[in-house]
Amino acid sequence: MTFIEKQTDPTKPMHWPGNMQADYLYPSGIAGDRFFKHIMNNDSFLASKCPKCNKVYCPPRIYCEDCFCKIPDNEWVEVPSSGTIQLFTIATIDSYEEKLDEPKVIGMINIDNTDSSMLGIIKTDDINEDIRGIQVKAVFKDKDKREGTLKDILYFKKVK
Amino acid sequence: MMTAQKKAHPKYAPGTHVSTKDIIDKNITYTWWEPEIQYCWSLGPAMSRFLQELKKGKIIGRTCKKCDRVLVPPRMFCEYCYRPTNDWIYLKDTGNVETFSISYLDPNARRIKDPILIGVISIDGASPQHGFMHYFGEMKPEELHIGMKVKAVWKTEKERTGSITDIKYFKPWKGGKR
Repeated sequence: MTFIEKQTDPTKPMHWPGNMQADYLYPSGIAGDRFFKHIMNNDSFLASKCPKCNKVYCPPRIYCEDCFCKIPDNEWVEVPSSGTIQLFTIATIDSYEEKLDEPKVIGMINIDNTDSSMLGIIKTDDINEDIRGIQVKAVFKDKDKREGTLKDILYFKKVK
Repeated sequence: MMTAQKKAHPKYAPGTHVSTKDIIDKNITYTWWEPEIQYCWSLGPAMSRFLQELKKGKIIGRTCKKCDRVLVPPRMFCEYCYRPTNDWIYLKDTGNVETFSISYLDPNARRIKDPILIGVISIDGASPQHGFMHYFGEMKPEELHIGMKVKAVWKTEKERTGSITDIKYFKPWKGGKR
């Protein structure tokens, strides 16, 4: 019978490997575009402030997500590239599940003078330290190497 | 103030137009990513044998004794009789055009001048309407018609890898009777 036949030689059945092409391009949008173009030339961040509720967004938004009102261009403010760590995690593997040479600390940073937070890589000397509530400052790439992406921020380091 | 606010709320947001030029010239910032999406399809005994025979330059089918059919591409199970198929059978590399399509778009949906000729070929020796999809070559698009006799053009033995593309394309064939 054929169903027994097929199991006699396990080396015979073939496999067809393939690679699906699924590249994508994601434009930053109106607010994101202004934000990234700002960090290309400056060592600070841009934030947008809601005229109604005074909530400050960083990364900026063109609409306030609380009052659904449009944030006009003159309500944009420059904020320092520093903040407070709200929470953090330690990664020991990368996105392909490969073991990293050294663990990477990723944290949620509440940007100073704003009401919002940003994800960032945090460089610390002591990996076991509880770094919640600690002040950190962004370290950028050299200005000529910046490309207008979040990767222009190399990492956040402790403010001494 | 309120009226001004209301005017700033159109019913439909106009959106921002982004052209290809904006992206190429880097007038806008963007993120580009190519995720690695790999798959591995286990072919099973019938399709494995079929591809291994293609590597040897042969087309193989499978017979079902109950419904008296010759299946190509081969299958281990007859979907008509709900029973395992019986024997392997070598078939000719000729057939006739069952259906066809003339495509002026390439696989990336770009417009092309020379069309890609593609269609289903029912293989000689197999049951009617049993065959597979392939390219057509050595013919003009106008020549291609349903029922046309075609013959496989194989890659050289060294080039063959055990893939359906071991056959380059099917060319018009005047040699045989229908």
